[in-house]
Amino acid sequence: MTQRALAWGMALVLAALGFGAGAQGSEAPAKNPDTLVYLSFSEPQSLDPAYAYDIPSEMIIWPTVYETLITYNGSSTSSYVPVLATQVPSLANGLISKDGLTYAFPIRQGVKFHDGSVMTPEDVRYSILRFMLQDRDGGPSWLLLTPLLGRDSTREKGKIVATYEQAAKAVTVSGNTVVFHLAHPYGAFLSIIAAWSFVTSKAWAAAHGDWDGSPATWQKYNNPKLQDRYAFDHMDGTGPFKLQSWDRQAKQIILVRNDAYWRPRARLARLVVRTVEEFTTRRLALAQGDADIIEVSRPDQSKVTGMPGVTIRDDLPMLQIQAVYFTQKIDMTANPDVGSGKLDGNGIPPDFFSDIHVRRAFVYAFDYGAFIRDALRGKAVQPNGPIVAGLLGYDPTLPKYAFSRDRAVAEFKQAWGGKLWDTGFKLTQIYNTGNVARQVGSQIIKDVVESLNPKFKIDVRAIPFPSLLQLTIANKVPVWWITWTADYPDPDDFAQPLLASNGDFPKRAAYSNPEADRLIKEAAQAVDPEKRKSLYQQLSKIAYADVPGIFAAQPTAFIVMRSWVHGWYFNPILPPPGQNAGANFYLLYKQ
Amino acid sequence: MAAFILRRLLLLPLVVLGLTMLIFALLQFLSPEMRASLYINDPKQLNAVPDIIAKYHLDRPAYVQFWDWLMQVLRGDLGWSETAREPVADAIRGFLPATIELSLYSFAVILTVGIWLGTQSAVHKDRWIDHLSRITSISGASLPIFVWGLVLLMLFYGHFGWFGPGRLSLAADLFVRSPQFRSYTGLITIDAALNGRWWILIDGLRHLVLPVATLTYYLTAVLVRVTRSAMLETLRTDYVRTAQAKGLARHVVVDKHARRNALIPVITIASYLLFANLLVGVVVTETIFNYPGIGRWGVGATQQLDVPSVAGFALFSGGLLVLGNLCADVLYALVDPRIRLQ
Repeated sequence: MTQRALAWGMALVLAALGFGAGAQGSEAPAKNPDTLVYLSFSEPQSLDPAYAYDIPSEMIIWPTVYETLITYNGSSTSSYVPVLATQVPSLANGLISKDGLTYAFPIRQGVKFHDGSVMTPEDVRYSILRFMLQDRDGGPSWLLLTPLLGRDSTREKGKIVATYEQAAKAVTVSGNTVVFHLAHPYGAFLSIIAAWSFVTSKAWAAAHGDWDGSPATWQKYNNPKLQDRYAFDHMDGTGPFKLQSWDRQAKQIILVRNDAYWRPRARLARLVVRTVEEFTTRRLALAQGDADIIEVSRPDQSKVTGMPGVTIRDDLPMLQIQAVYFTQKIDMTANPDVGSGKLDGNGIPPDFFSDIHVRRAFVYAFDYGAFIRDALRGKAVQPNGPIVAGLLGYDPTLPKYAFSRDRAVAEFKQAWGGKLWDTGFKLTQIYNTGNVARQVGSQIIKDVVESLNPKFKIDVRAIPFPSLLQLTIANKVPVWWITWTADYPDPDDFAQPLLASNGDFPKRAAYSNPEADRLIKEAAQAVDPEKRKSLYQQLSKIAYADVPGIFAAQPTAFIVMRSWVHGWYFNPILPPPGQNAGANFYLLYKQ
Repeated sequence: MAAFILRRLLLLPLVVLGLTMLIFALLQFLSPEMRASLYINDPKQLNAVPDIIAKYHLDRPAYVQFWDWLMQVLRGDLGWSETAREPVADAIRGFLPATIELSLYSFAVILTVGIWLGTQSAVHKDRWIDHLSRITSISGASLPIFVWGLVLLMLFYGHFGWFGPGRLSLAADLFVRSPQFRSYTGLITIDAALNGRWWILIDGLRHLVLPVATLTYYLTAVLVRVTRSAMLETLRTDYVRTAQAKGLARHVVVDKHARRNALIPVITIASYLLFANLLVGVVVTETIFNYPGIGRWGVGATQQLDVPSVAGFALFSGGLLVLGNLCADVLYALVDPRIRLQ
């Protein structure tokens, strides 16, 4: 009896397995045809366009809910189309002054905010001022402060030093036109405006406790905490979708179509962006058709390749660079990663990497092909400097270092007056725990360098990201990895942080070159694209000569979506501009 | 009994205070820069670290931070959860119903199946049901919960498409957020019944099947083994033999005489399961099934060094454990009169 029951049970399970519902195949009709479900890996920090500076937040904010004065023309990153402005300023149409200091934007009329009020040039001016003057620590305000006020923060050592008058003079309204007065000519200004000039309603903001635009009160609203602003979890833009709900428990944002949109309405009625940390859950939802687009890491890409009804667009050039920096003046205090702290074979001195032969030796000892193949699944190209492909000034004919054991040996033999080859050295590379690509890259450096000379010892250790953060700030890590992604598609956004002596990474690496600083400044201020192109090419040559680090890879992006999603196009700056390519949800539809 | 309960309740604030002091003491081992990473999402923000440290007072000694936090809690403010993007108290209130719902259904299944199977296993020792229970309990206890959860998800969602992750399907979720649906308890199945929306109730139950099955398989295994051992021991006692000898029916001996005594160790395990192990289990289960409960939030907060959230979570879970132990003690007394007399 019992055996018979068991046999029946087994038969039922097998039958169910054989005739299971299965995944939604390529011929299946679109599930929830008017709703697009996007499953992301991480959730937004804030919906306030003047606060948010993280990829998940930007994906909700722009260009879906908030719009900018102009935007990038389709897939292009260097030509623009008007959005909330009616024209793109240029020297030819006279909206950019000849000295490159004034940009005028005629404002589109009849555009309504999601609360029903009509957008005015004063709303545009207010939004720009608010973006600059709110200026929270680590926020995006520097993007407009730098070209307009000539400083990257409203504060110095915690004290407010910028004035309302300075900001008000930089952004003025003349009739129906908003005019920007730059502190100095800035070639990348239109590129920044295309991605960072979000417009919100002044009346709506003021009615909900935000700054009312008054010169007397702006300081009270400077450097807020996340929760201090109503706009943190409420939105009032002009875009094709408006916020319906942000459920922080369910980690889900629902945007619904803006039926009063000034352009033709979006074809999707609803956009659901949900955070699902577990990859298997995201993958199964995609297979079942419950999700339309999911975020996938490169190592997991093979698990969605060939899935019925799923399309993968791959090999999309990202404006991103992965590099290894060498700290040229290491803080030796209680530093276990430098061994003895001397050039005695058991450690390294603080200025170990100040010798260019050491840096060159490491650059030659890096197996670029192996790194791109093993760490990035072959989905990257080797850049020839900080100016990556897709940016103005990128020149594929410029030289780049190639993996060569012989040249690495030759450089090591010249390092430290020829002493290093005999004494050897010992140091530790650090990467952040869980970053497989960096782990592989660190191992490649270790294997090759140690194979050149038995007296060379490189340890590799993983520590949590917060710890790594602390150590790099303190100049304690001899060799470290960075990843840099564009804020706006202009070479200045790469040259400054990667090569300028006050840039994020050179500062940590104690690298500086006055000539590079001069060229970066000159290129940033130049308006003529040809001149800028030439200056950035010179900067790439300086980077090649100076070797501040290993410019290891420019990864490519991809996107994984159901085949029933149409209307997608690639632009490397569309959020999320990371390993998973972004999307302009306004144009998407399901069929 | 009342004095006993009161004494235990008075201990609650002390336990929770000790727990939170321990958390803040551990902060001593984390540098301000490490804790500032909570506010950093991108390498572009690294330059702002010193300002962030000053803004959030992260460089103050841990005891000063603890004192500030304690004063804030006494004013009824648990602080801001950077990971939940809302006040800690709101986060606990918001996440709790989903976890309660998951725990209630799980616990009902665990108790029913665990005690029944454990009893049957003991009564029918070395018969097929005993072998079956042994195999299932050993595999349940040894199989990592995330593996079991993923297997269930891949089979019943990925292959059959029957039971999806999350709390509700898209259609049900949108309806629940509409003005047509009123939330009374935050428990989807209860609210659906109170609204008379049976399709929502069924949808909610369908989404509970896999998380409950995951938790149940993991936790029932322990309860089955404990119940079986306790029952076997009790069935060998003289009074049970006497009951059998005087001609009582087998089911009366087992159900009324043996099981009640065997339940004493089971209560210990059950209370431990409910208030501690279940909390651990839901963390994994909630993550796999994208279930918006308090466990997933607690883990996220810990990983990101979100001190107010971790302290708030500790307050909550510490309180829950103390209450769980109290419940166990009260249940002991109810089951065993000797304890009540002492």
